[in-house]
Amino acid sequence: MKVNELKKRFVNIYRRNGLLVFIIAVLLAQGTAVVQHLYAKRSLRNEARRRAQTELKVKNLEICNMLNSIETAVDNQVWIVQSMLYNLDSLNNWGDLTITNIDDIVGCGLAFEENFFPKKGRWFEPYTRRGATHNEHAQIGGPDHNYLEAEWFIEGMKADGGKWSEPYYDDAGAKSMVATYSRPLRDSTGRAVALFFVDVSLDWLKQLFDVDNPMEMSVLVSRMGYILAGPERVVSKYSLYDVARMYNDTLVEAAADSMLAGREGETRVQMEDGSWASVHYAPVEDSTGWSMALVFPDNVIFSGLKQVGLILNIFFLLGFGLMIFVMWRTARNYKELQAVNLEKERIGSELRIASGIQKGMVPKTFPPYPDRDEIACFGALVPAKEVGGDLYDFYIHDEKFFFCIGDVSGKGVPASLVMAVTRSLFRTLSAHNNSPEVIMTLMNNAMSEMNENTMFVTLFIGILNLRDGTLYYSNGGHCQPVILGNGKTTPLEIEPNIPLGVMRGWQYSLQKIKLEPGNTVFMYTDGLTEAENIDHTLFGDDRLIQTLSGAESTPKPLVQRMMDAVHKFVGNADQSDDITMLAVNFIKKMEDLPKSRSIVLHNDVRDVPQLAAFIESISESIGLDMSATMNINLAMEEAVVNVMKYAYPEGTHGDILVEANSSGNELTFAISDSGIPFDPTKNATPDTTLDAEERPIGGLGIHLVRNLMDSVEYNYIDNKNVLTLKKKI
Amino acid sequence: MRTTINELNGELVAAFEGRLDTAAAIQTEKDVQPLADCAGKNIVLDCSALEYISSSGLRIFLNVLKNAKAKGSRVFITGMSDDINKVFKITGFMNLFEFR
Repeated sequence: MKVNELKKRFVNIYRRNGLLVFIIAVLLAQGTAVVQHLYAKRSLRNEARRRAQTELKVKNLEICNMLNSIETAVDNQVWIVQSMLYNLDSLNNWGDLTITNIDDIVGCGLAFEENFFPKKGRWFEPYTRRGATHNEHAQIGGPDHNYLEAEWFIEGMKADGGKWSEPYYDDAGAKSMVATYSRPLRDSTGRAVALFFVDVSLDWLKQLFDVDNPMEMSVLVSRMGYILAGPERVVSKYSLYDVARMYNDTLVEAAADSMLAGREGETRVQMEDGSWASVHYAPVEDSTGWSMALVFPDNVIFSGLKQVGLILNIFFLLGFGLMIFVMWRTARNYKELQAVNLEKERIGSELRIASGIQKGMVPKTFPPYPDRDEIACFGALVPAKEVGGDLYDFYIHDEKFFFCIGDVSGKGVPASLVMAVTRSLFRTLSAHNNSPEVIMTLMNNAMSEMNENTMFVTLFIGILNLRDGTLYYSNGGHCQPVILGNGKTTPLEIEPNIPLGVMRGWQYSLQKIKLEPGNTVFMYTDGLTEAENIDHTLFGDDRLIQTLSGAESTPKPLVQRMMDAVHKFVGNADQSDDITMLAVNFIKKMEDLPKSRSIVLHNDVRDVPQLAAFIESISESIGLDMSATMNINLAMEEAVVNVMKYAYPEGTHGDILVEANSSGNELTFAISDSGIPFDPTKNATPDTTLDAEERPIGGLGIHLVRNLMDSVEYNYIDNKNVLTLKKKI
Repeated sequence: MRTTINELNGELVAAFEGRLDTAAAIQTEKDVQPLADCAGKNIVLDCSALEYISSSGLRIFLNVLKNAKAKGSRVFITGMSDDINKVFKITGFMNLFEFR
């Protein structure tokens, strides 16, 4: 039960732990994935930020270069223009020159202050437009085009140096975004008298911002917030504030404010489709007041991360699958192991039952005969395995103590089966035989016949007559028993007979010895003398005799003393063979019948059956066999019938007393009556050689009495006929 | 004690069963009366179930024998046990009867 419980607990722990391990593994994997995801996200975001900053710097540099080149070119023209300022004829030449000198301009012009050339009127604004083949020249100032009140003019004239205007879309000429760069021209006094300006096409910005790159979107906005370059759909149509309104997003608005204030920064915005994006912005480091922004949508930045996550998850799933498979296999293996263990347990429990059955085959109630004072015995059987091949047995029958001790070759279950057979044969055969050698011979024949596995048994059978202490014994190859008595140990003489089961037909020999009261026969199996300690030294005969010497002859302490000695000798070494001991102590001769018995009969032959019953009861109490009983019965009947016939005259009544007495090995009967004195022993012996015709009818009775009894004696005492019959038994 | 008499193959067969002691002999003596009329027939005394015999029983056997001899018949005893055989030896009855 305990083992089962432990096992169950182990299974539970295993199952629970298996689940626990699995859960922890999943949690760890998921945790790792999350952390990894967060770190990757952060580093990707940082990477994106760095990229954005780099990108913005590059763009800034390119824009500045471009604008600077224009500014420088214009600045370089200024002294020429200034020198030709009052030469009206050369103005057209000057325009052509400027267009030729500066690549990116679409046109250039001069806007003079009011009434600068009195001839020309209030407005004078000569303008040269770049053409495909030749340049167009025109004076564009006038009431329709009142530049004098235009902001670019007023502000441009005020400025110390060059100034960029807010870009505009040129529908008429360039068909593109155009920005104007102006520089005031001064007279000799340093007063600004005209504004020299160039219109610059911003087409080149397109290349810079209309990047065909799904990873990002970039825009360039003017000082006022108008989108100068970027995706086609927003350029020149909207301002940043329009965008903010479109998204109804205060973050965008704040970012726009920040941008227009010329600051650098980053903000998060939500896109039309609900996804998020990072916006990085920085001003163009020029006098234009322009600002740039780069938009990195999250799903673009993190698309790689998603893929990595997907691959990672696939690996995790594979890992978990593998783990589950391994766990399942382990569980299955465990189940198989459990099945093997169950089978083992079943065999084990059967062996335990077999062990119990076998133990039940040898007497184990001690003392076996508490109410007997002639005999004491003690036996012990310690099998090396659950079941063994050693045996002992004893019982009392007909005032004889039958006992045996034996050892089946081999160990374990096969030996135990042979042991059971041996014990049964001993019981069965000894019930009908009083001779150990006959029992032994019959057992050998039976066992040789069915001995297919050539197993044999060494056996010692003893029959102790409790009346006189005679031990009749026969030994079939068994260890030599030892007699203990008077402080001496004497090996019991044994004749060399073969073990049982070896050869059919072997005639076992009978031996006998007279035991003195107090003697003890100590028997054992070779498991005792061949017990090994860890150094493989045998217990041996010497130690056996040593242990027996000086031991008291009471069976139980004797066997226990020997058992202790062998256990002490063997120590921690494994028991290699069954150890069996049997000690039989003959205490004293069986006492005679406790008191004489008697019966009173009438002088009537019909009382004869009563006499028969009386004789039978006596015979039984002293263990006589049927034949002896019948002889005594016949003698007694003849004697008593004789008395019935002759002691009392016919027609009279009289009693006859029959007394029985047993002393030693002699049985005595006294038949007494108070009738006519008559001595039957005086009768002549009949002639038994006569023919039938000559044989007398009477006289046979007393003849039978004489022949069947050992002595017949007649006395006339106290007016009584007393006939005493004696028989040795 | 039980005695049964049958005629078998021209022989009178008396079978005894039980203890033929002095008490039983009174009845048995009556039971074997039919054997007196045995002229021309042999007698078989079947003792295979006879457990015990005392001198009274022996006397009955002797009477049967004497009567049969007088009439020229033979008496055979069968199935005698060792113990009864011993009694026959002691009393010399072994010499009187024929056994088979």
